[in-house]
Amino acid sequence: MIENLKEITKDTLLSEVQKFADAKARFVVTVCNDLGDKLEATYYFNYSPGVEMVALRMVVGKDEEVPSISGIYLCAVLAENEMFEQYGLKVKDIAIDFGGLMLLGNGSPVTPMLKDKAAGGKGGE
Amino acid sequence: MAPRTVAPFGPQHPVLPEPIQLKITYENEKVVDVVPALGYGHRGIEKACELNEYPKNIHLIERICGICSCIHGISYCETVERLWPMEVPPRAKYLRVIYSEMSRTHSHLLWLGLLCDALGFESMFMQFWRIREKVLDLLEMTSGTRVTHSVSVVGGVRRDIDDEQEKIIIRELREVRQEAEALINVLASDPTVKARTVGKGVLTKEQAILLGTNGPHLRASGVKEDCRMLGMQVYDELGFEPIVETGGDSYARALVRARETLQAIDLQLEAFSKMPKGEIFERPKGRPPANEVSYRSEQCRGECFYYAKGNGTQNLERFRVRTPTFSNIPSLLVMLPGSELADVPVIVLSIDPCISCTER
Repeated sequence: MIENLKEITKDTLLSEVQKFADAKARFVVTVCNDLGDKLEATYYFNYSPGVEMVALRMVVGKDEEVPSISGIYLCAVLAENEMFEQYGLKVKDIAIDFGGLMLLGNGSPVTPMLKDKAAGGKGGE
Repeated sequence: MAPRTVAPFGPQHPVLPEPIQLKITYENEKVVDVVPALGYGHRGIEKACELNEYPKNIHLIERICGICSCIHGISYCETVERLWPMEVPPRAKYLRVIYSEMSRTHSHLLWLGLLCDALGFESMFMQFWRIREKVLDLLEMTSGTRVTHSVSVVGGVRRDIDDEQEKIIIRELREVRQEAEALINVLASDPTVKARTVGKGVLTKEQAILLGTNGPHLRASGVKEDCRMLGMQVYDELGFEPIVETGGDSYARALVRARETLQAIDLQLEAFSKMPKGEIFERPKGRPPANEVSYRSEQCRGECFYYAKGNGTQNLERFRVRTPTFSNIPSLLVMLPGSELADVPVIVLSIDPCISCTER
């Protein structure tokens, strides 16, 4: 069970994240999960100095576009690029957009972390 | 306006033990912009973790990175143990701390040597690495290997440290501490070292927080944040207090790691003095239940985040690792612009980048 978890929607993502920035919280990480027909994205923050993490979670359709939080937290660029290329989560207006080529290459499997993609370099087999 | 030039820094560079590229735009020897380029060592370890049965992942997780392997393995076990949740025997907790701090000692000594090498201080580089060998010998004596130790298992640890080994370790650690302290005193007061690090790559406290930095990098900017304060292991019984510097520059980052090297040895000695006798392993009952947990541990290079989701089978539904460097790289986008091109290598090195960790 994830403690201090708040369910949000993509429409409230930026306003919720802004509250953390205003409170001088530190962005920790995003975790993406494949739920079958939807994707689940969880954003973790930490109040510094402190020990508690707080999480925001939203569930979106695989074709839906979500806003980037990199305008608020620049450091989220790597995490957001990773969610796009590993899961296909469409993140709009990332401050530095690697276009799906941050960790993967041109010949790599597409969205390899999705459940219907087998590991081993030949996605989907 | 002078012409601007874009130069690649890496993926192969003397200060980079692993491949990453920084596309650096500079004007009159001053850096004006930086864009990182990753992807030279991605191995898909998170995906592979879903395919293995959960106990086998320990060996996989330890191969995220050679230097951080021990704490990766321990933290994976601690994450999975939280899924049940289950308790491990007290002696196992102490042994995990000893192994973790031994890893931190050799990792920081390695980094101090690399810093000296980047500064051209070759004799000091060799001295740091010489005493690091003694720590690696201790790890080899207790775990059987120098790099991937595989000491931790879900439910405890695989190897105990007997009385004879304990005596040898304590004796060697005292020697290493004495030698390391002497070297650190020279390093910290050397005018050339100061000239190359003081005021270089400055990150203020506010910037460090907003840029998501962590570990020694964050603490060097005056933030008292360390996952060893979370109370999940036995650090609170050892009187642990995070080491903090306020300079926010490359020198402050070096001082934090130098002082943490000595602190790590002190923590090991303290752990040996308080470690209870008893069992070192408690067999997990059943399979990881359908549950999800997040966990943070203090790696040698900083805060490491783990997420595990069980589904009631022997396999994990999802395992996520966010390593320290993954979060520290964005700070370079702020630290490097405005600095001299010649200072770039030392500033990059000052975050103790680990690219195999970052790319997993």
